[in-house]
Amino acid sequence: MEDLLVKETKTRKKIEVKCYHCGEVCDTSISTDEKYFCCEGCKFVFQLLQENGLCNYYELSDKPGIKVKGKFSSQRFAYLDNEEVKRKLIRFDDGRQCHVSFYLPQMHCASCIWLLESLHTIDTGILFSKTNFQRKEVFIDYDTSKISLRKVVELLAFIGYEPYISLNEGEKKKTKKISRKKIFKIGVAGFCFSNIMMLSFPEYFSSGNIGQADLQKVFSYLNFALSLPVFFYSANEFFISAWKGLQQKWLNIDAPIALAILVTFLRSVYEILSGTGAGYLDSMSGIVFFMLVGRWFQDKTYDSFSFDRDYKSYFPLGVTLIKNEKEETSTINQLKKGDMILIRQNEMIPADAFITEGEGNIDYSFVSGENAPLLKRKGELVYAGGKQLGASIEMEVVNPVKQSYITQLWNNDVFTQQKNHDKSFIHPWSRYFTLILFLIAGSAALYWGINDPSKILPSVTASLIVACPCSLLLSATFTFGNMLRHFGKNKFYLKNSSVIEALSRINTIVFDKTGTLTHSSQANVVYEGEKLQDEEINSIYSLVKESVHPLSRIIRQELICSHPVQPLQVNSFKEIAGKGIVGSVNGKQIKLGSKQFIEGNESTTSLSQTGEVYFSVNGIKKGVFKISNQYRDGVAEMINSLAKKKYRLQVISGDNAAEKNNLESIFGRQAFIRFHQSPQEKLNFINELKSKNSKAKVLMLGDGLNDAGALKQADVGVAVSENTSQFTPACDAIMDSNEVHKLHKFIQYARSGKKVITWSFILSILYNVVGLSFAVQGLLSPLVAAILMPVSSISIVTFVTVATSISAKRKGL
Amino acid sequence: MSVLILLIGFSILIAGGFLVAFIWSVKKGQYDDDYTPSVRMLFDDKPITEKKSSLTPKQK
Amino acid sequence: MQALEKFQYDNKIVRNFAFATIIWGVVGMLVGLWIALLMVFPQWNIGGIGVGKETIGLTFGRLRPLHTNAVIFAFVGNGIFMGYYYSLQRLLKTRMASDMLSKIHFWGWQLIIVAAALTLPLGMTSGKEYAELEWPIDIAITIIWVVFGWNMFATILKRRERHLYVAIWFYIATFVTVAVLHLVNSFELPVSFLQSYSWYAGVQDALVQWWYGHNAVAFFLTTPYLGLMYYYLPKAANRPVFSYKLSIIHFWALIFLYIWAGPHHLLYTSLPNWAQSLGIVFSFTLIFPSWGGMINGLLTLRGAWDKVREDVILKFMVVAVTAYGMATFEGPMLSLKTVNAISHFTDWTIAHVHVGGLGWNGMLTFGILYWLIPRIFKTELFSKRLANFHFWIATLGIIFYAVPMYWAGFQQASMWKQFTDAGQLKYQFIETVTYMKPFYAIRSFGGFLFLVGAIVMMYNLFRTATKGKLVSNEDAEAPALEKSFSQHAGEHWHRKIERRPIPFLIATLVVILIGGIIEIVPTFLIKSNIPTISSVKPYTPLELQGRDIYRREGCYTCHSQMVRPFRSETERYGEYSKAGEFVYDHPFQWGSKRTGPDLAREGTLNLKKTDSWHFNHMDDPQAVSPGSIMPAYSFMLDKELDTASTPAKIKAMRTMGVPYAEGYEYTANKDLMNQAAKIQSNLLKDSIRVKPNAEILAIIAYLQRLGTDTEKNKIAENKN
Repeated sequence: MEDLLVKETKTRKKIEVKCYHCGEVCDTSISTDEKYFCCEGCKFVFQLLQENGLCNYYELSDKPGIKVKGKFSSQRFAYLDNEEVKRKLIRFDDGRQCHVSFYLPQMHCASCIWLLESLHTIDTGILFSKTNFQRKEVFIDYDTSKISLRKVVELLAFIGYEPYISLNEGEKKKTKKISRKKIFKIGVAGFCFSNIMMLSFPEYFSSGNIGQADLQKVFSYLNFALSLPVFFYSANEFFISAWKGLQQKWLNIDAPIALAILVTFLRSVYEILSGTGAGYLDSMSGIVFFMLVGRWFQDKTYDSFSFDRDYKSYFPLGVTLIKNEKEETSTINQLKKGDMILIRQNEMIPADAFITEGEGNIDYSFVSGENAPLLKRKGELVYAGGKQLGASIEMEVVNPVKQSYITQLWNNDVFTQQKNHDKSFIHPWSRYFTLILFLIAGSAALYWGINDPSKILPSVTASLIVACPCSLLLSATFTFGNMLRHFGKNKFYLKNSSVIEALSRINTIVFDKTGTLTHSSQANVVYEGEKLQDEEINSIYSLVKESVHPLSRIIRQELICSHPVQPLQVNSFKEIAGKGIVGSVNGKQIKLGSKQFIEGNESTTSLSQTGEVYFSVNGIKKGVFKISNQYRDGVAEMINSLAKKKYRLQVISGDNAAEKNNLESIFGRQAFIRFHQSPQEKLNFINELKSKNSKAKVLMLGDGLNDAGALKQADVGVAVSENTSQFTPACDAIMDSNEVHKLHKFIQYARSGKKVITWSFILSILYNVVGLSFAVQGLLSPLVAAILMPVSSISIVTFVTVATSISAKRKGL
Repeated sequence: MSVLILLIGFSILIAGGFLVAFIWSVKKGQYDDDYTPSVRMLFDDKPITEKKSSLTPKQK
Repeated sequence: MQALEKFQYDNKIVRNFAFATIIWGVVGMLVGLWIALLMVFPQWNIGGIGVGKETIGLTFGRLRPLHTNAVIFAFVGNGIFMGYYYSLQRLLKTRMASDMLSKIHFWGWQLIIVAAALTLPLGMTSGKEYAELEWPIDIAITIIWVVFGWNMFATILKRRERHLYVAIWFYIATFVTVAVLHLVNSFELPVSFLQSYSWYAGVQDALVQWWYGHNAVAFFLTTPYLGLMYYYLPKAANRPVFSYKLSIIHFWALIFLYIWAGPHHLLYTSLPNWAQSLGIVFSFTLIFPSWGGMINGLLTLRGAWDKVREDVILKFMVVAVTAYGMATFEGPMLSLKTVNAISHFTDWTIAHVHVGGLGWNGMLTFGILYWLIPRIFKTELFSKRLANFHFWIATLGIIFYAVPMYWAGFQQASMWKQFTDAGQLKYQFIETVTYMKPFYAIRSFGGFLFLVGAIVMMYNLFRTATKGKLVSNEDAEAPALEKSFSQHAGEHWHRKIERRPIPFLIATLVVILIGGIIEIVPTFLIKSNIPTISSVKPYTPLELQGRDIYRREGCYTCHSQMVRPFRSETERYGEYSKAGEFVYDHPFQWGSKRTGPDLAREGTLNLKKTDSWHFNHMDDPQAVSPGSIMPAYSFMLDKELDTASTPAKIKAMRTMGVPYAEGYEYTANKDLMNQAAKIQSNLLKDSIRVKPNAEILAIIAYLQRLGTDTEKNKIAENKN
C-alpha cells in the first residue's frame, strides 16, 4: 500500500524549484519576472530591494535571503514604542540621533553584510549601519525625526533579519577590554623581544668582543631599556597569579615561571650594570613573548556564541497589556500578578497565566521537550515559556516570569555557583618540577660551596634561568589551543580549554532525546491508505500550507519534496486546535487531523500524541500519514561504539513515550530511559548520578531550555543546536546537531590531548637536562641560553601542533 | 663604527614609532573586527540609482 | 543631519600617475635593454659629447644609474602612487584631501625624474648606488615626499570609514621609513651646485649606503607593493583576502623587524664580522613575514583557480606573488656567507634583483594597470588577447632573463675561483668576460621580450583609454563617519569624534625629528675611530680630481674596489682590503659588481701598469685587452680638467676630517699641475702628446694611486 512513498523517495529532489530569495524548495505558484518565490514574504523583500536598486544582494552570493518566518502582525513590535524598552535598547541618544546595536543570528554571507550596511538607501532615516560579521552584530545610527526604533526593527525584520531582542538586553558584557590587554602585552613583548634579539647578536657573533667598548655599552643598555616594559608590563600576569596562588598556599604553574623571570631579570641587570656581561634579557623577553602567545592562542573564543545564557535570553523584552479595553505595551519585568496580557500567534507566553479569552494551542517543545502542542481551554493555567500557535489569546498573569514555574529552575544554586572543573593536571606536575629544580640548584650550590664558593651564585641563578618551566606551559597552551581549533573545525565549539580536560575524564553520558538524538524539525512520514491522486495531493498540500501546526509543516515539506505540487484555492479554511484542519478545495471538503476528528466523534486526546494524521475527502476516510521522529544519521553507531567503550549511557526526555521502542532498539533493552521529565527532574537526575557515585563524571547532551539545569549540573554540558546561530542554554560547549554522531570521536580526541602533553613534557625535560648540565657547572653563557630557549620553545610548539593534528586525523576529525 | 649608533638609533626610533602606532590602533578598536573589513573593501560605493533593477540572476 | 554624503573620487590623478607609470616604465626598460646590449656591443658606447664644460655620456657607467633610477623611482614609484591614489580614496571613502597637493605631488615627482634623466647622463652623480641623484634633487625629493605624506595623512583624517584597512598601514609604513632612509643616506656636503661629497667615509659610508640600499628594496619595492597586493588582489578576484588576521600579523611582524636590514650586502668586506653576521641573521628572519604575505596572497585564490585560468589580470598577479615568494626565499639564501662568497659581485645578483623587479613589481603593476584603466575610463579592456599575449611574452622574458644570468653568474664565480694544479689562477679575468658574452646576449633577448610586452600593453591601454571616456570625478556616496561611541559595544560614549591618525602623525614626526638630532650628533663622532693605518694618506689634488672623474663616469658600476679575503682574490688582486684604507673615501667606491676586474690595488705590484698603458686603454680598451667590453673614454684625452673646483673640494674634504693642512686649497692646484706634468712627461717618453691639463692625466693619477698606501707599508716592513 505505502509503495507510493517508497517510489517517491527514489525520485525525491528530482523536481526542484528553489525560491530565488531564500533558496527553499517551493512550488511555482508565486513568481515575478520569471523568478519563483516560496512565499509572499520572500517576494515582497525581493521587490523592496529591486525598487531600491539593491539587487546586488543577489549577485554577491547565491540565494542569500532568509525566509521570513510566518507573517507577523502589525502589532508585533509595538512594544518598541515603550519608553522603558527604548531606554533598555538605545545605547546613545542626543535627541536627534540614536545609536542601537542588535544581534542578528541570520547574518551569514557577504550579501548580508552588504545589505545591512546599505540600509540607508532603503530608509533615509537610517544614518549609518555597520556590521560585525563574526559577532553577528549590526550597529545602527538613525535619525529620530525620520524613523523610530520600532520602524528600524520592523524594517530589519521585514528583510529577514529580525533582531533578537530578549529580556537579557542591556546587560552588556565587557569581554573586549580584557582581550585587548592581552594583545597589548603580546605586541610590547614581541617588539622588545625582536629588538633585544637583534641587539644581542653582535655580542654573540663577536664572541663577546665587539671591538668598540662604547658600542657594547650602547647595546646592553638599550637591551636593558627594552627589557623593562617586558618585565614590568607584559610579564606581570605571571607574578600576579603566582602571588595569588601562594596566598592560597598552593604552587601553581606560574610560580616557578615568575621565579625564573625574576631571577633572569635580576642577574641580567646586575651583569649589565656591573659591566660583567650582557645578561639573558633576550631569553627572558623571548620566554615571556612565547608564553603570552600561547595563552592567547589557547583561549580561542567564538565571538558569535554565548555560553552563559539563562532564561532571560529566551523571553521577549516587551509584552502587550490590556488595560481597560485598550492595548498598551510594557516590559515583561513590569508585569504584575493580575495583569491582563494579549498573546498573539507565535508569541511566547511571558508569565504563568490563566487563559481568559480564546483557545490556547501551546507548543512547549522548548520548555519541556514535549514535541506536541497542547490544547488549553479558557480558564486553564499556562506556564511561561510556551508558544501560542493558534490565534491571539488573552490571559491573566498569575506569576510574573521571575517567579514563574519555568524560572524556578534558575533559583537552584547550580546557577549561582561557578562550575569548578578539577584543577588542571599540569599544576601538580609543575610542583614536582619546581621541587626537583630546587634540589638540583641546592646540590649545585652545595658542591660549589665546597669547591669554589665564587661559583655558587652563578650556578644557582643559571639553573633557575635555564630550567624555566615555560615549556610546560607552552606545551599545554598550544596543545589545547590547537585542539580547540580542531573541535571547532568539526562544529564542536568548546567554551574554553578546561572543557577538554573535563571531557577526557567523562565516564557517564546522558542524552536528551528531542533535538539531540532525533531531528526536531524533520520527521519520518509514512503514508498508508488509498493511493493518492495528484488532485488529492495538491488539495492536501494547499490545506497544510495554511496551517502553522508542526505536523502540517512536516506533511507539507514531505509533499513538496516528493511531488510536483500545485497549490489550489482553499475556501473556508478552519484550524481546530489539537484536532486538525478542514477546508474545501474544488468544492470537495478536505479534512486532516486526529482519527476522532475525521470520524467526527468528540475526544480530548490531542492528535500529536499518536503522531498519526488521518485525512478524508467529503467525509470519506482515505488514509493516514504516520509521523515518527527521525533519528540523526550515525547516532546508532555512535551509541554502539560508546557502549563498547563501557560508558554508562542514559536517556532522559521531556517528551512522551511514543519513541520508547525505537530508543530501546538503539540503546538496548536494559538501557535506562525516562520520559516526561521536567527540567527540574532532569537536573536532579544528574545530581543523583554524581552523588551516588563520586567517580561519575557526567556528560549531558541537550538542546532546549528544559535541559539548562542538567547541562549546568553536569561536568560537561553540551548544547546541541540545529543551526549554531540559534539560541542555546548555558553550557560548556555547543555542538552542531549534524555532528552528534561524532561524539565518541570527540571524547577519544580529548583523551589523546593528555598523551600529547605528556610527551612534550618529556621532550622539554630533555632540554632542561642539557641546559642544567651547563648551568650547574656555572658555564651557562647567554649564547647557550639564547639558543636553548627558542629552540626548545619552537620545537615543542611544533611538536604539539603536529601531534594534535595527526591524532585529529586518526580520530577521523 | 660610530655610524652604527646612528643607524641603530634610527632603526629603534622607527620601530618604536610603529610600536606606538600599534598600541594606538589596538586601543582604538581597529582590530576588534578582524574579518568584516576584508569583505567590506570589496563593495563599491557607487550611488545607488532608483529602479536600476531587472538584473538577471547569476545562477551558479 | 545628512545621512548620506555624496562626494567624488579624483580619478584624474590616478590616470596621470598611471600614464606616467606606463611611459616611464617603457623608457626605463628601454634604457635597461640598451645597457644590456652595450655589454654585448661595447662599441655602441658613446661618450663625451661636450656641452659647455660638461659632457653627455651614453656609456654603460652613466646609463646604468639612469636605468635603475628610472625603473625604481619612475616606473615603480609612479606605480605606487597610482595604486595609492585609487585605493586610498576608496578605502577611506573620501576624496583626496587636496587636489592641489595631489597635483604638486604628481608634477613635482615627474620633474624630479626629468631632472634625473638629465643630470645622470651629464655625469652628475653622488656615486652611491640607487642614491645617485645630486643634492638639489635630493632636497626636491624630500619636499615632494612630504607633500605626498601630508596629502595622505590629511585624507586619512577626513575619512568616512573608521577602520584603516591593512593596505593603508603598508602605505603609511612606506612613507615614514622611506623618508627617514632618504634623509640619513643623503647626508652630503655640497661643493658646488650639482656636486657634493657623502658626509660619511669608507666603511661607514658603505654601511649607511647599504642600510639604505636594502631598505630601499624593503620599503620602496616591497611594503608598498604588499599594500597594493592586499587591495588589488582581493578586488580582482572579488573575494576577501584569505586571512585578514594573518595580514594584520604580517604587517606588524614585518614592521617591527624590517628596518634592521642592510649589512648582508657587505659580507666579506672590511665591515666588522659581527655586523655582517647580524645582517645575515636578520635577512634570514625576514623570510617569515615575507612568506606570510605570499601565502596569504596565493591562498586568497584557493578554490578560484578556474577564475585565474580565464582572468589575465589574476594571471599577472599570481606570477607576481610567486616571483615575490621566490625572491624573498633567494634573498636570505644569498645572505648566507657560503652562498654569498659565490654570488657576490657576479651576475647572479643581477638575476636575483630582476626576478624581484620584473616578476614582483613589474607583473603586479601590469595587473593593476589592466584592472584599473578600464575602470576609470568606464569601458572594457580594448583587447583581452593582447593582454594575454603580454602576459605570456613577459613571463617568457623573465625566464630568458633570469635563467642565463643565474647560470652565467655561477660560472663567472667558479672561473674566478679556479686554480691550476700548479696553484696558478686558471683563468685570466678577461676570459671570464668573453665567456659571459653569449649569456649577456640571451639576457638582452629576455629583456627585449619583456619590453615588447610592455609596449603592447601601452598600445592596448591607450586604445582602451581612447575607447572610453575618463570619469575624472567618479560619483560615490557613503554615510558620514559614525560618531565614535558607536565604534564598539558600549565603549567611549563621549561624543567628540576621535581623530585617530593624529597621535600617529605626531609620533612619526617625533621619530623623524629626533632622528634629525641623532643624525647630527654622531657626524661629529665620525672623526672615524676606525683602526687607521699610518701609511694611508689623503689623495693628492690630481688624484682627488681623478677620483671624481672615476665617480662621474660610474666606473663603480663595473669595477669593485674591495678585495675579499679569499685566496682566489688575493692571488688575483693582492692583499685583501682593510677598513683603514678607505678613511678618506668620500664617497666609498667599493661597487657591487665585477663586470671588470677589481681595482682596489690597481696601482700595485703585478697589477701596476705604465701610464701609457692606461692612456691607450682609456683610448681604446679593446685594442689593449682584446675581448674587453669596456667603453672607450677617448674624450678624456683632450677634455680639459676643471681645476677651478680644486680649492672647494679640498676645503670640503677638510671639513669632513680629511687632514689637508689649513690653506692648502690655495696651493693645491700647483701640486696638481706638477703631478700632471710628471705623468705628461712619462707619456711623452712613449711619444704620447697630451695637454698639460687633460682629464686623462687625473684618472691615470688616481688609478696609479689605488692600493699604494698599504704597499708602502709593506715595503717599510720589509726594510726593517
